[in-house]
Amino acid sequence: MATSPIRLLVVDDEEDLALLIRQKFRRRIRKGEFDFVFAHNGQEALEKLAENPDIHLVLSDINMPVMDGLALLSNLEDTNPDVQAVIVSAYGDMENIRTAMNRGAFDFVTKPINFDDLEITIEKTLNHIRALETAQEARDRLVVLKRELDVAQKVQMSALPKEVPSSATHDVQALMIPAREVGGDFYDFFPLSDERIGLVIADVSGKGIPAALFTLMTRTLLKGTARDSSSPADCLSRVNDLLAEDNETCIFITLFYGVFDLRDGVFRYSNGGHNPPRLVRSDSRVEVLPSTENLVLGIAPGHAYRNGEVQLAPGDVLFLYTDGITEAQNSHEEEFGEERLDAKLAGLGQVPAREIATTVVAEVHAFAGDAPQSDDITCMAMRFTAPLSSPTVGRT
Amino acid sequence: MTNENVLSVQTERVEKAVLICPLGRVDGSNIGALESAIQEQLDVGEKTLVFDFAGLNYISSGGLRVLLVTARRMQSEGGKTLFCGLAEHIAHVFEISGFTNILTICQSRGEALAAL
Repeated sequence: MATSPIRLLVVDDEEDLALLIRQKFRRRIRKGEFDFVFAHNGQEALEKLAENPDIHLVLSDINMPVMDGLALLSNLEDTNPDVQAVIVSAYGDMENIRTAMNRGAFDFVTKPINFDDLEITIEKTLNHIRALETAQEARDRLVVLKRELDVAQKVQMSALPKEVPSSATHDVQALMIPAREVGGDFYDFFPLSDERIGLVIADVSGKGIPAALFTLMTRTLLKGTARDSSSPADCLSRVNDLLAEDNETCIFITLFYGVFDLRDGVFRYSNGGHNPPRLVRSDSRVEVLPSTENLVLGIAPGHAYRNGEVQLAPGDVLFLYTDGITEAQNSHEEEFGEERLDAKLAGLGQVPAREIATTVVAEVHAFAGDAPQSDDITCMAMRFTAPLSSPTVGRT
Repeated sequence: MTNENVLSVQTERVEKAVLICPLGRVDGSNIGALESAIQEQLDVGEKTLVFDFAGLNYISSGGLRVLLVTARRMQSEGGKTLFCGLAEHIAHVFEISGFTNILTICQSRGEALAAL
């Protein structure tokens, strides 16, 4: 390997030690493995270290003029924390050696120097230095990743639709609380025309970055397909075919998509393996939207999605959610469950439409208490207020 | 966290198949244990896998993905994958996601082995 030699600093006031070291390590110096720099006291050592920032290992005597080895160690701690020191001192000097170890020396060898032992000690210390460097690199990489993750989170959250002002016909509120920095859930609502709005809720298998990437891809495909689809089922069939192409990892997404007609209150939908949404009638009855008996998206190209249809009356609420709501656990490992959800929905009464999602999520949080959130929590509520008045007929 | 890592996976060789029995929860924290138990069987070219879920309390969507990958791979290699012993709430998850239509699900271990 054509790597540059490892540079070591030897600090000793005995002039002939330099000769001896060069002699004993001549092979490794000749091979370009080691390169020695010498200093005669602590003060000189600090100067050499300043000149040679690539030195990470110092072999130092203790008793020296100007600045001794113990003072050098104290200085190293402050000025060169990434430099490791091996103390070379007389066998009888155990008290000083103990002090040196307490000041952060990595190891020691005794004089007269046994050069085989010194070589082993040098190798061991170099391995330690390499391990420290690797750990530091890993930590640096982690910091970069964390920063990227924070940006990814902002990208993902900003891809969700913003709150829309109240309209005469309907109100929508949606909420997503990822369990980690980025989530595998998403929701969307968008106008398809002046009379119709699309509502989407979805949950990707798995979590983290792979799931988050899949949500963005699906959301974009769905929105791009929705407008020229003849029905929600047609839209899901097309999105599914696109997602299932070359999907070897079998990442899948449960996705519910419906189109609400503001003129007559008809909601047409197709359910790709997602938890069935609820229809909360104005008299507080909670209905489960009938299944369209379809598969999750992304794994079976050619799967034919089917439509379902329900009629909403003014005052009715559609509630869409992901399993982060029903599978939220408390500290006794009990799940929030569908029964609690339905009871909460039935008791919503006159909660303003724009507070339904926050009210349900607050209930889930109260139930979970201190138990950690293990899955993304997402829900969306739409209350139908009044049909769109036709420009010719007008509302009565 | 109280419910992390509470999973053990037992495998058992019976006459016509290898039974894979996850006990506890399968979630993001321990999915690797299930994956490696499956991989061991794929590595030795096992042709018939029966997943017995009688001891399974919970499986995350990431866990379901692993099952799908397995079933698909077995199928492409001319093998078979069956699932049995699903508790009511797990069966519910299979039902909602539509997996009951693409995976072979039996009531009990006995029924699964008889179907082979």
